[in-house]
Amino acid sequence: MKRVLVLAMIAAVVTAACGAAAPTGGASASPAQVKLNDGKLVIGVINDQSLVYADLSGKNAVEAVKMAVEDFKAKYGENALGGPVEVITADHQNKPDLASSKAQEFYERNNADIILDVPTSSAALAIAKVANDQKKLYINITAATTDLTGANCNKYTFHYAYDTFMLAAGTGKWVTENLGKQWYIIYPNYAFGQDMEKSFRGAVTKFGGTVIQSDGSPFPNTSGDFSQLLVKAGQLKPQILGVMQAGGDLVNVVKQYNQFKLGDQGIKLAIGLLFDTDITAVGQDQMAGVVYTTPWVWSMDDQSKQFADKFLKRTGIRPTFAHAGNYSAAWQYMEAIRRAGTDDADAVVKQLEGYKFSDFFIRNGNIRAEDHWVMHDALLAQVKPSSEAKEKFDYSKVLGTIPAETASRPLADAGCKK
Amino acid sequence: MDLAYVFIQLFNGLVNGAFYALLSLGLAIIFGVLRIVNFAHGAVYMLGAFGAYLLLQQWSVGFWPALVLAPVGVALLAIVVERLFLRRLYGLDPLYGFLLTFGLTLFLQDAMRLRFGIQGQPYPTPEELAASVSLGPVSYPVYRLFVIVFSLIVCAVTWYVIERTRLGMVVRAATERGELTRALGIDVDRWVTGVFAIGIALAALAGVLAAPMRNVAPLMGSELIILTFAVVVIGGLGSIVGAVAAGFLIGVLASLGAVFNPAFENVIVFALMAVVLLVRPAGLFGSREAS
Amino acid sequence: MRRRDIALLVVGIGIALLLPRVLYSALALRIVLWALFAVSVDLLLGYGGMLSFGHAAFWGAGGYAAALLAKSFQLPFPVAAVGGIAVAMALALPIGYLAIRRRGIYFAMVTLAFAQMLFYVVNELRDLTGGENGVQGVPKILPGISVGRTADFYYAALPLVFLGLFIAYRIVHSPFGHVLVSIRDNEARAQALGYPTQRYKLIAFVLSGGLAGLAGSLFAIGNSFASLELLHWTTSGSAVLMTVLGGMGTLWGGGIGAAIVLLLEDSLSSVTEAPGVVTGAILIASVLGFRRGLAPALQGAALRVWDRLRAERAARQV
Repeated sequence: MKRVLVLAMIAAVVTAACGAAAPTGGASASPAQVKLNDGKLVIGVINDQSLVYADLSGKNAVEAVKMAVEDFKAKYGENALGGPVEVITADHQNKPDLASSKAQEFYERNNADIILDVPTSSAALAIAKVANDQKKLYINITAATTDLTGANCNKYTFHYAYDTFMLAAGTGKWVTENLGKQWYIIYPNYAFGQDMEKSFRGAVTKFGGTVIQSDGSPFPNTSGDFSQLLVKAGQLKPQILGVMQAGGDLVNVVKQYNQFKLGDQGIKLAIGLLFDTDITAVGQDQMAGVVYTTPWVWSMDDQSKQFADKFLKRTGIRPTFAHAGNYSAAWQYMEAIRRAGTDDADAVVKQLEGYKFSDFFIRNGNIRAEDHWVMHDALLAQVKPSSEAKEKFDYSKVLGTIPAETASRPLADAGCKK
Repeated sequence: MDLAYVFIQLFNGLVNGAFYALLSLGLAIIFGVLRIVNFAHGAVYMLGAFGAYLLLQQWSVGFWPALVLAPVGVALLAIVVERLFLRRLYGLDPLYGFLLTFGLTLFLQDAMRLRFGIQGQPYPTPEELAASVSLGPVSYPVYRLFVIVFSLIVCAVTWYVIERTRLGMVVRAATERGELTRALGIDVDRWVTGVFAIGIALAALAGVLAAPMRNVAPLMGSELIILTFAVVVIGGLGSIVGAVAAGFLIGVLASLGAVFNPAFENVIVFALMAVVLLVRPAGLFGSREAS
Repeated sequence: MRRRDIALLVVGIGIALLLPRVLYSALALRIVLWALFAVSVDLLLGYGGMLSFGHAAFWGAGGYAAALLAKSFQLPFPVAAVGGIAVAMALALPIGYLAIRRRGIYFAMVTLAFAQMLFYVVNELRDLTGGENGVQGVPKILPGISVGRTADFYYAALPLVFLGLFIAYRIVHSPFGHVLVSIRDNEARAQALGYPTQRYKLIAFVLSGGLAGLAGSLFAIGNSFASLELLHWTTSGSAVLMTVLGGMGTLWGGGIGAAIVLLLEDSLSSVTEAPGVVTGAILIASVLGFRRGLAPALQGAALRVWDRLRAERAARQV
């Protein structure tokens, strides 16, 4: 009897030890079981390294991916993926034809297994087509267009960090419920801006507000002058001025909004898409109080701060959500390879579809099988005055969380036929 | 359409027109003496704005001194470039000057981007001009009114110097009959460099004026230069008055047109240019063809 | 055709056939199409003395027209290209007519401004052109042959490219071409001799626009999309850069210029953070140093070597 008890105890201990040793997130293949198609894993990062988005993602996004590879190997061993891992990169200069050309080169000539990042909607869509033609993976992190999971969706394309729907669901809802119900929306008159206007109009109306009017500004904007629309806002006197401009245009709008003292007249500012680089260009104090939606803020919790500290040491700046998103996407891709036991695209796609996970960047993540949108919680953030900042890039504080369901476009509206 | 609203747009148009006028004026002056169309004029405007930003950032020099220091600094830089590069192209087809300055533009814009990043640097409105004034139902920034008035003064002074003073007379003589002027013992080259510097300074000044209102970024002048070309074609490249008048005129027309259709703003300048080319190829104020 | 030209042609064909093997097919395609574009610019600049800084208007118009035709009507790409050429030439007629009312630098500024106007107009007509997103999903069709892959499309399109280059060559070495050169050298004299110079210049402009349209059509179809980039003034600037770099007034110089600029862009893309600095510096150096471009410099050097070899051979025979 005693021997049986002892055996049972030993069995229990051994089972517990095995269970504790296995990493969270499901069964994993041991290193010897990952078989790479061509003996090598090649990760391509294509983004803008010289123009508008160079600071937002750019070369540092490549660093983030390299960090992910190094940390992954540190965790699972040198041979974690069954072979060497190479990270290659190219600058698409926001030109869709260059992006398409580079993507083809990466997939064909360099045997890239996946392409990451790709800001600028037209470039993002161009690469989605190339990925589908080549039957290889593509995870987009930095473009906003919902078409990636809508009209242009395909089997090999995934959309990871954010889209225009999420931005509207977050900012549109919170601002309407808390700051004001009467909106005047201005947007840049091209696909992204029109997409944003539509999403915000929908969100504002859904949560009890009204859009008095919306006006498009010419895009590209030669003069950098938005005085005409701002004067109109001064006349209409809405409670909220919704600004969908991005990048340099956004900086001009905010600078001129401040000059026209619209804030003093009770017209509050809501911004559709805001990056840390925009805050730098306008000045933290000029933007203090502005509320916006983002997938991630580096100072939001300890996990994120840990990553941000490592990133700061490596690159000298605090990470934007694009940097963090690239790290996270690369990591999850490599995890999927381990689950699949191979880097074969179809097998990895199967492992990604329907996968639920959380890491420092994605909370309550679920990769939808139908359209390959990665559902996850989003954050409502607010720019704080420099007096409250603990260090140079400490721009924002988190006001609240938008749950994944609310932040994701309903499948019925997507129009994705894979 | 609210008449008061249209009235305000007039002022917005004058502000934009002020920038077009200053840039076209500089371009016309440089063409007048050097026979070079300075493609890099937009980059000079950008350097002026960055100059103001740097003066503030590094040496805490405010807006008012920057109005003088930044254009002077940029002009000195330009003189170096003129001595080193542009001088070699005198007497040649103006096409070469155009191409060289195009290369300069690419170089300067990218170099600034390398150094400062693409996004832009903050620059505040000067304290003294930060107030607003009531223009009818709308509260209009004093700074914008300042831009209009200041630019008009600068243009008027420049016109006066060129048309009414000895310096201007020498310059005009040098551009029209260079050999003869030299034969009379006048050091044309020195005057040419001086006037070139003035043309550059005007563009840099426009940049300083723009810094509180526009994003101070490496590409801030890259689209503006094309518009400036259209403005000088409309005004007449050889004419000082034409450059200024066309600048303000187009600024106002574009703004008023945008009231009816925002897309109009971009296209109207070029449409006007087409009309002028059909009706008066030498430009509205031009008298002889520049070749 | 002179012997030297035939030799060049053979070399050119050889290079063109081997290019996708040496580089990768997407880059090879871009090089040959930009080469044709640069040749069209050189036709006006080197032989006509007119610097067009807005030729992207025709490259882009051809591109959009061909893309829309191919997509809407599922046309084989040569047919769509013909449509592109037609649209480009139709556009070149009014633009050219207005532009040639000015000369020299004015002409350049006018063409630049018109191209920019077209850029904004195309952007506005976004229901037709897709605006910022461009025309996506353009099919590559050739009855009976699969040309979906870039490598296949390259070889299928090559005959059309050579046709375009041949047309340029014939224009230049024809009575029309000689008159054009004489107008470039001294317009007043040509007028005095009784030539309707404005008409010659306009015809040259339209032909040049058509060639640019051909190149643009193939480019858009080859990429499977047409985007606003095709019409931006920096695209015009690149074509001029290639022409100046390669050599104005030597048709094949455009090809060299295109190869250099695109190879640089491609390798720089993975290496440096400042493509503009390098490109700008190269252009400045070209204008100051090799004002006649690299092709004549290369040609000159090659000729000197050839002459020396011949002299040595003659000396040895004595």
